[in-house]
Amino acid sequence: MPGVNHSADSPATYEFRVSGHLDPLWAAHFEGLMLACDVDGTTSLRCEIVDQAALHGVLHRLRDAGLSIVAITQVDR
Amino acid sequence: MRRFTSDTATVTVIAAPAGFGKTTAIAQWLASDDHRERAVAWLSLDARDNDATTFWRYLIAAIEGALPRAVSPDERSGRALAPMSEAALDVLINQLQSGPRMTLVLDDLHVIDDTVVHAGLSYFVEHLPAPLHLVMVTRADPPLPLARLRVEGRLREIRARDLRFTEAESARYLTEAMGLEMSDTQIATLDERTEGWIAALQLAALTLQGHDDPARFISRFAGDDRYVVDYLVEEVLQHQPQPIREFLLHTSILGRLTGALCDAVTGLSDGSATLEDLDRRNLFVVPLDDRRLWYRYHHLFAEMLRARLTAEEPELLRELHLRASDWYERNGLLEQAIEHAFGARAFDRAADLLEASSTALRQNRQELALLGWLEMLPPEMISARPSLGLTFAGTLLSAGRIDRVEQLLSDAESADPSTSEEVRTLHAGIALYRAAQSMVIGDIPATLSSARRAVELASSGSDIEQGASAGLLGLALWAQGELTAAAESWTTALEHLAAAGYISDMIGGSLAMADILLAQGRLAAAAAVYRHGLDEAMRSQPPLRGAADMHVGLSGVHYARNELENARAELRSAESLGEHSGLPQNRHRLRIVAARLLLAEGATTEAIDMLIDAERLYVSDMFPDVRPIAAVRARAYLATGLYQEARDWARGRSLTTADPLSYAREYEHATFARVLLSDPATVADAVTLASRLVEDARDAADRGGSLVDLLVLQALARSAAGDEANALDALDEAVSLAEAEGDVRVFIDEGAPMLRLLAALTKRTPTSSAAVRLLAAATAGRAVARVERTSIFPASTLTARELEILRLLASDLSGPEISRHLTVSLNTVRTHIKNVYAKLDANSRQAAVRRATELGILH
Repeated sequence: MPGVNHSADSPATYEFRVSGHLDPLWAAHFEGLMLACDVDGTTSLRCEIVDQAALHGVLHRLRDAGLSIVAITQVDR
Repeated sequence: MRRFTSDTATVTVIAAPAGFGKTTAIAQWLASDDHRERAVAWLSLDARDNDATTFWRYLIAAIEGALPRAVSPDERSGRALAPMSEAALDVLINQLQSGPRMTLVLDDLHVIDDTVVHAGLSYFVEHLPAPLHLVMVTRADPPLPLARLRVEGRLREIRARDLRFTEAESARYLTEAMGLEMSDTQIATLDERTEGWIAALQLAALTLQGHDDPARFISRFAGDDRYVVDYLVEEVLQHQPQPIREFLLHTSILGRLTGALCDAVTGLSDGSATLEDLDRRNLFVVPLDDRRLWYRYHHLFAEMLRARLTAEEPELLRELHLRASDWYERNGLLEQAIEHAFGARAFDRAADLLEASSTALRQNRQELALLGWLEMLPPEMISARPSLGLTFAGTLLSAGRIDRVEQLLSDAESADPSTSEEVRTLHAGIALYRAAQSMVIGDIPATLSSARRAVELASSGSDIEQGASAGLLGLALWAQGELTAAAESWTTALEHLAAAGYISDMIGGSLAMADILLAQGRLAAAAAVYRHGLDEAMRSQPPLRGAADMHVGLSGVHYARNELENARAELRSAESLGEHSGLPQNRHRLRIVAARLLLAEGATTEAIDMLIDAERLYVSDMFPDVRPIAAVRARAYLATGLYQEARDWARGRSLTTADPLSYAREYEHATFARVLLSDPATVADAVTLASRLVEDARDAADRGGSLVDLLVLQALARSAAGDEANALDALDEAVSLAEAEGDVRVFIDEGAPMLRLLAALTKRTPTSSAAVRLLAAATAGRAVARVERTSIFPASTLTARELEILRLLASDLSGPEISRHLTVSLNTVRTHIKNVYAKLDANSRQAAVRRATELGILH
């Protein structure tokens, strides 16, 4: 099968896109996060996520921070 | 808040992100006039409630807080019922059903993600008591079956869009509540930028209060793309004096705040005053009680503060956590002390605290939390602390996990030999666990050796240890066919279980005890065991689980003695207690006895359907499967002339006459012999097999029940082979053996061939009153079967097979042609046709077809 074939438990880079521009200090709060503000008024948060459980953990924290998620994508390694 | 006035909805879900004022909305509604007549129970959930036992305990406590005596946790049934099984929930639901109107609020439901809790909640929601209005406040839609409620109009949903302020509401808030002077344009700008999000509006208002250039702030705010909370929090923080700013940042690590705790963390002395000031200025703190002793930060704000702290002063984090941990410890709040110790990554300290509090945690059923913490500790730390190692091992074992346990125990023992009593208890626990595992996978020799070891280790231990190990040993011995030893083991087990107060477990064990006694042919003793179990179960209100099982057991004994009315009465008692009154096995046990009664009435199709149901519902519960339901069904096929189906069963089980015999397969082999008997070509094989089985049972010397059944088989086989004299010998022996206990059905169920043999026996030995009585009973039984059709379970529809036959009856195929078409014997077809006629109240083919067409069954 062409393309990248991941098992659900292997680490992957995810990009979360949220509304509003986030302050860079968020990067420390989410370990290993790369943050980039975009012209359309959203912010992309990229981090290496170890497995599905970790993914849900990040989703919880984004929710608790009151952020509005507009997209979640798995990015090529 | 008009939207709450409708009284038809019984569930309200408020789902919105943090900071939308969900809790405020609910609190306001509850304080309003609409709500006068209802009591209110409020449960604020946190991560520690993410465990079924804890969750329901606190839920019930919340209800009791609102309505004392609304629910009465029955101590005995609390332990007897599986924690928050459907049976236990039924008790709660029933108690609330007859209570006054009440609102139950579950706040922060999103912190619960345990599947067992969700399953219980789903059940609760599906069976919600009428007087209860359930309100769920959450940041994430709950995974519960709300669709049906929605369709029935009983669900009310409040979502973010409903909670956002409209422009008018924003205006009122800013100008009236916050006392700000603003133009309409400014209000519109703020409203648009914050999208009516209350938390953001609040922050904006705080910034504006006392701001020297509000207009500039608003226009800059409008033009900025930053996440509103980020922007506004920073604004607010920047406008605070440095000491306040530091206070906010440093105390952000705390889940709850109180003056003295804040002082400990900040190193200052004005904690209380600062908190009061923040409260008065409406700056991010929420009081947790009326006395304003404890506060917490608004969720969003706390997140932001922590993020800032991590970014600006990371090296301070550890120190702050340690200070908090220290304060909590000094004030006797060990759980929080442990959490902060982990927050500081101070594992030594955490380990010390865990050692000090583990007993309390286990008593309060905080095992999940304890396990989580223990797993966070570095392994070397645990091996250096034997007491902690033992706690860890014990907690793992109660969670059904055996990984690491061996290692933990040997580490503990080598570190400190004085812990040997605790080590013994845990070794006994492992042996018991291993025995159970082996039993589940059917490895009897392994079960025996582990069980024996468990009994040995438990001999100086508690009643429950001794009871559980003796019970498991009893099961293994039974599977091996060592019935005397098994009965002894179970007698011991039941005594210890009763002494330990584990009554429901004792009742469950009574099932095993009785089964073994029945295998030994001791009907009276088995009945006594059932009666004792029933007495114990009926001491509680509602009766303990297992009461239904005892009734079913008694029904079985009555059936064996041909006391059919009593048997039916016991079954009715069992059913009236309800499904949740039975232990897991009762679902199939009840159906097996019901099937026997149906067969006795001649309702063969229903009986077989009932047995198929029973098989589907079978659970072993670790009992050896010494009487497989499939074999019982095969015997039913034989009794009703469905020989092909019976042969199919034998083939499916790969039974051959060359098989070695064992107790575990005795019933199957005896059934196989009966199958062989049904074919003239294999009668000789049946005779041989029967003899082998009889010899085997005789050698065992304690299988009285089996022996009677096998001698009956032998009599029938010999008779079929033409060896009448020896047939009568076998029958004579069977009759004598069965006489004392009154086992009658074992003969009657064999039908016409047995009737003939009994008659011959009475002729041979006219002085045998037992044989005469049996003959009378057997004859009467046959007459009864034709007349009585009052079944336990009403049968008013045709089975699939009968429907097939009916359709073929409507064609012009003859009987033999139908049987060829369906590839079953003519006898089978005739039986089905008989049933079809009976159900359609017809006595001819045309009448049946006509009636079926009238009813719309045929077109």
